[in-house]
Amino acid sequence: MFRTSALRSSHRRQNKPIPKIAFLAGSVALLAVIPVIYILIHALTGDPELWQRIIQTRLIKLFSNTLWLVLAVTTGTSLLGVSMAWLTERTDVPGRKIFRWLLALPLAIPPYIGATIHLALLRPRGGLISLWLEGNNLSFLPLPIPTGFWGAAFVLIIFSYPYVYLLSGAAFRSMNASFDEAARMLGRTPWQTFWQVTIPSIRPGITAGALLVALDMLAEYGTVALLRFETFSSAIFVQLAGRYDRSAASILSGVLILLALIILYGEFHIQGRAQFTQIGSHWRPATLIHLGKQRIWGFLALLFTVLMSFIIPVSLLMFWSTQSILDSQTFSGMQIGSRGLLSFIFNSVWSSGFAALLAVLFSIPIAIYVVRYPGKISRLFSRLSQVGYAIPGVVVALSLVMLVNRFLPFLYATPLVVVMAYVVRYIPQAVRSSESAMRQLSPSLEEASRLLKRNALQTFMQVTLPLILPGLLAGSALVFLSSLKELPATLLLRPAGFETLAVRVWIWSEEGFYFQAAPAALLLVVMSIIPLYFLLQRESIFKQ
Amino acid sequence: MKLEIEQLSKRFTGNQYPAVDNITFSMQAHEILSFVGPSGCGKTTTLRVIAGLERPDQGIIRLDQRTINDDRTFVPPEKRNIGMVFQDHALFPHLSVFDNIAFGLRGFTKAEKKDRVSELLNLVGVEALAKRFPHFLSGGERQRVALARALAPEPALLLMDEPFSSLDAHLRLEVREQIRNILKASQSTVIFVTHDQEEALFMGDRLAVFNQGKMEQIGLPETIFHDSGSRFVAAFMGDSDFVCGKSNPTGFETELGLLDQQNDYSPGTDVEIAIRADDIDFELNKQGNGRIINRFFRGAFNFYRVELDSGAIVHVFKLHTEIYQPGERVLTFFNAGHPLKIFAR
Repeated sequence: MFRTSALRSSHRRQNKPIPKIAFLAGSVALLAVIPVIYILIHALTGDPELWQRIIQTRLIKLFSNTLWLVLAVTTGTSLLGVSMAWLTERTDVPGRKIFRWLLALPLAIPPYIGATIHLALLRPRGGLISLWLEGNNLSFLPLPIPTGFWGAAFVLIIFSYPYVYLLSGAAFRSMNASFDEAARMLGRTPWQTFWQVTIPSIRPGITAGALLVALDMLAEYGTVALLRFETFSSAIFVQLAGRYDRSAASILSGVLILLALIILYGEFHIQGRAQFTQIGSHWRPATLIHLGKQRIWGFLALLFTVLMSFIIPVSLLMFWSTQSILDSQTFSGMQIGSRGLLSFIFNSVWSSGFAALLAVLFSIPIAIYVVRYPGKISRLFSRLSQVGYAIPGVVVALSLVMLVNRFLPFLYATPLVVVMAYVVRYIPQAVRSSESAMRQLSPSLEEASRLLKRNALQTFMQVTLPLILPGLLAGSALVFLSSLKELPATLLLRPAGFETLAVRVWIWSEEGFYFQAAPAALLLVVMSIIPLYFLLQRESIFKQ
Repeated sequence: MKLEIEQLSKRFTGNQYPAVDNITFSMQAHEILSFVGPSGCGKTTTLRVIAGLERPDQGIIRLDQRTINDDRTFVPPEKRNIGMVFQDHALFPHLSVFDNIAFGLRGFTKAEKKDRVSELLNLVGVEALAKRFPHFLSGGERQRVALARALAPEPALLLMDEPFSSLDAHLRLEVREQIRNILKASQSTVIFVTHDQEEALFMGDRLAVFNQGKMEQIGLPETIFHDSGSRFVAAFMGDSDFVCGKSNPTGFETELGLLDQQNDYSPGTDVEIAIRADDIDFELNKQGNGRIINRFFRGAFNFYRVELDSGAIVHVFKLHTEIYQPGERVLTFFNAGHPLKIFAR
């Protein structure tokens, strides 16, 4: 095609200019993966004797504990989440509009607060239910042991199912009536239709939700520590906080990250296909299934789930809060030195808010690059920036302790390290929100702006930014919500005296001061409901 | 010349064939030029390269004697003084109709903006909609606002990328007549891209037919239609069928008999003859050269599809009163009052 080689080289330069945004996106991706790479290198270059000792003494037990918990919680949340979504989206069960909201609200309750309430009720000695049974001479009735594997699995299932519920609910909602009708016309019974058409078409939604739950379980610290079930996360925490043994912690973290990366890889794979039931122009909602006399059972199932996962925990928190505020001794116990609840709120809000702002700012170049310049490199950058999904809070803390000590010593023991941890851990959520906002923006809008005499930067400020702002806000709400609830990294990285609501709730709960912990826990839940409400409003299942 | 394009080429990475293959043409001021061709033929890419939205691999683009692209120059889209109407209209959803139209009026005072916008609202006939947001406009209204926005800064050249494709069929006919009148009234120089031959004929003062990245032919609609420069143009623009033939000194021997037509081919050359439904006729004949395979009722006409014994398919117009059944044997013959287009094989 080209006649001279001089032409050819000049054309190649002109044809493929590397966009400036690629450098910004690359920097963000690099920053996001440094903690993981640092830990992996540290783990792999660890003392072989230490490796051997850990493999012989700890690894198998931790592996099986962690995997069983992940398996149990993932299965449990899938069953619970999908059945709840099916009841509210596909049947005529009474009250389903209110249940839709109530079923999503447990996302505002961190599982460790759930675990605290669970313990306060069921402890063999001093638990409220145990006391009540004794008081009524019913102590011969067996109570389940609240701690250990089953206790942890139970608490984590009832506070994590909303992930699966929301994703499968959206999938049920976007299913076109014609799929079901076509199956019926081709001779399938309703039952066969459900298994052969409905479930397969929402399977990507269920799988995506389940994999996110699995990643969350690998990272979960508070609940398993409180209920005394040892997993990788809690073992690493003990090594770091109790024994100050960073080498052992690095090795355990390396193994944990590898496990998480495998799950994350699967999640990336499924993510692109999570919606193959898109709402086209001829979309009609599927007709509701009439449960008839069975409606009462559906209603009870919904009510039971909502009671366990939201209404009872929040009522108890409210009850205890009132009591502790009325009791002057407990109330004064809430002061730590000269600081009180207000300072905990302030610390929680500014650290989470700052993290949310940074995460969203960093996510913008990634989103623009991957959406406007699709290709292998931009996709790689996008995925690298989402590696935070696979780094549990304890591991983020470990790597930041080592990195900051070594490279940024002036930041050591400042709250900024806590903010950095939030950003590393939760930037994936911002990246996904920003990417989906960018994807919904037709490139022709930006092109129109260029032809109407705006340069690239003016176009971003005057057209792109105003139009993706709702998506950016959603991303920041998500990061804010997650940071607010974050526990292990905050505990490990906070400077002395930096107390957030989550930290205070945890310390009081661990010491068994449930009444004292209640107001802070309630505040945490209420503050989480605000961004959660904003996020849920954007979900398709809450739109009519 | 208003617009001059020389040897423009563009190949997308990973594609074997260029999307735009060595295109050269020029345009007069106030002219409307239709780009037409099947999808993927390079017409939209050519448009986007002219707009500056894609970088060409080579080629020179001059607008009003100013070079906006060559080996060393690439003027960014915002500095080209070119307007564009997009396929999806691309009206900014966060701005009202007024602000959308005023968006391109940089350096205007508030009063000047107001005057210019109302002038355009008036021109496209949507004065009442100034305060509305794009979301609340009908398809035809959006179309006209998009045009007003593109025309507002008085661009040297206006590009329109399949602007009617998102409209319903009945609305399309109505809107395109309005739009053509507006373009003529505003004396715009326009390149209009479409994949619809009929729309191209209607909109364009001239037509450029694209195929596989190349501009196959450029010229007046009548020329393109009656004097197609290539077999592709004849097939795409003229709905032509083709029958094979061999030249001899007095004409061409074909399975429809001898076509009596002077020609410069050396005797014995294999050719293809382009025929339209009004160039041939048939009569029922058991010993004929083909058979009817279908009849389509077209109001005043019956439109017959005939399969010749060689397997070639031809179409024939008959009056609405002449009805024959599919399957009947027919004798098909030439019946044109003018020379037919011949292409060497």
